[in-house]
Amino acid sequence: MTTVHLFNTNHEIYWGLLIAVYFYYTGMSAGSFILTSLGTVFGIEKYKKVSKVGVLMAIVLLLFAPLHLLFDLEQPSRALNLFLHVNPSSAMSWGVYLLVLYPICLLIYAWYMFRQDFVNNMNGSGFKAGLYRFLLFGKTDMSAAAKENDKKKSKFFGTLGVPLALAVHGYTGFILGNVQARAIWHTPLMPIIFLMSAMVSGTGLFIIVLLLVEKFKFGKVSDDIKSLIPDIANLMKWFIVIDGALMIIYFIVLWYSSEAGYAAAYYLLHGDAWSFLGLENGLGMLLPLLILLSKKARQSIPAVVVASVLTIIGVLAMRINLVIGGQELPLTGSKMLEYVVSGHDLTIVIGLAVATTVVLSFLYAVLPMNRPGAQVKLTSQATKGVAQ
Amino acid sequence: MGKRYAMVIDLRKCVGCHACQVACKSENNVPLGVFRNWVDELETGKFPTVSRQRLPRLCNHCKNPSCLNVCPVKATYQLEDGTVLIDYDRCIGCKYCIAACPYDARFINPVRKTAEKCTYCHERLEAGLQPACVNTCISGARVFGDLNDPTSEVFKLVATQPVNVSKPETNNRPQTYYIGADDKALRPNLLNIVGGEK
Repeated sequence: MTTVHLFNTNHEIYWGLLIAVYFYYTGMSAGSFILTSLGTVFGIEKYKKVSKVGVLMAIVLLLFAPLHLLFDLEQPSRALNLFLHVNPSSAMSWGVYLLVLYPICLLIYAWYMFRQDFVNNMNGSGFKAGLYRFLLFGKTDMSAAAKENDKKKSKFFGTLGVPLALAVHGYTGFILGNVQARAIWHTPLMPIIFLMSAMVSGTGLFIIVLLLVEKFKFGKVSDDIKSLIPDIANLMKWFIVIDGALMIIYFIVLWYSSEAGYAAAYYLLHGDAWSFLGLENGLGMLLPLLILLSKKARQSIPAVVVASVLTIIGVLAMRINLVIGGQELPLTGSKMLEYVVSGHDLTIVIGLAVATTVVLSFLYAVLPMNRPGAQVKLTSQATKGVAQ
Repeated sequence: MGKRYAMVIDLRKCVGCHACQVACKSENNVPLGVFRNWVDELETGKFPTVSRQRLPRLCNHCKNPSCLNVCPVKATYQLEDGTVLIDYDRCIGCKYCIAACPYDARFINPVRKTAEKCTYCHERLEAGLQPACVNTCISGARVFGDLNDPTSEVFKLVATQPVNVSKPETNNRPQTYYIGADDKALRPNLLNIVGGEK
């Protein structure tokens, strides 16, 4: 039986690109941090050399992520209210504290990780040496006890960072999952799906950033990094497998749920197919999985980079499909809601992406990124610099 | 027991004049393009076997409002009498309440830049008047009152008439009771919209 609405008011999609991109940034921050904490926290020795790259990426992504939210607020000048008035039943209210605690924890963790390198490079008159002296806050003790303390503290704050990273991205899953009005969001799997896709995209972006840092900081990708890439690629393969399995479970249960759930699943397969099947799951999940299944491809850097880029695109599509697609299905009335990204939103997304890249590049450029196994390379580079 | 405000809308009496929609706009100074209260008009069936229906919609002032649960700054609050209100000076405009409301009752006021919705004309109630939409309804289809008072008109109607609410499967427990509303009108016919009808 058809129902035609002759008169109804128009309803808008209020949560647009900015919210989707916010979820995307926190996800990649949590993903890259958890991956690189494998060294410091879980003691897997070979990951220690990439901890610094990962933690800086996690910090910068997380500092820029909430700016998307701030720009999305209708009353950004009242953002302080989020701290003054807490609502324990609102997932968004939990997130406010996580979004403060997590970067603070990461900053302390990073400081202990960088401290000895700051001390080693603080003598000089250049900008870098001055910056290191400032960042040391006078803690220049290089005794064995101080070094041991650095190790202990970085392990402590790194360990604290792992549950915080899980929470800071898991809570965003609750933001959508708690909304019972929308069947497409209302699933207990949502926080886990968000976490796993965060691991996928976090790992993907991390591989690319790591290779860029190696290339521009050390001149070439050294052998120890080359030998680490297949390991990370192998991990990424498993992250994709778990993420894919969760998506399949989510989709099957959605298909057999309420009428609204079935309609949402049907919409994902038909109305939204190019984005859901094509971009999110075909190009962004299946294709990189197929690439990474081959051991030969995992050992080839170009193949791993291609797979990484694909996962990054796929997870962005997933965030957009869930956040915006979830609001396209009407709650009242008889027509789909249409979303058109505003120039304002697009400008902010691009602007913040550029700002994130600039700040991250600046930090990688000025901070001592030397690592176990690459010390020699750095000194030779440094002497070359002095000779010139 | 305290008061529990509720509204009964008797669709057998509604003529679809949209006077409630206009009165609300005028009373509450609601900007162009957005509505606190609106009348949905639908046609079901296929010519010549069709029926016309009207469905006045407003905030349901739910017993367990999603919007109140999700507000990160407690700008949305509920009075003892069940009225759900918004503190316009506290609302940050995050729009979570709009995304969470199953009834599309909320919107962003383009002038004030905060979330907004029906307040049961709170200032009129305080002055001992009825909400503007009830006051203006030409056929008496809208009845407003205290559901905890057995002598009130809303109590009598809810007790004696077959009533239904919009989307009872949610845990919102909405407090707008319709008499003679078709479930086809109370929720979107999603399978019709996205396809997938077997």
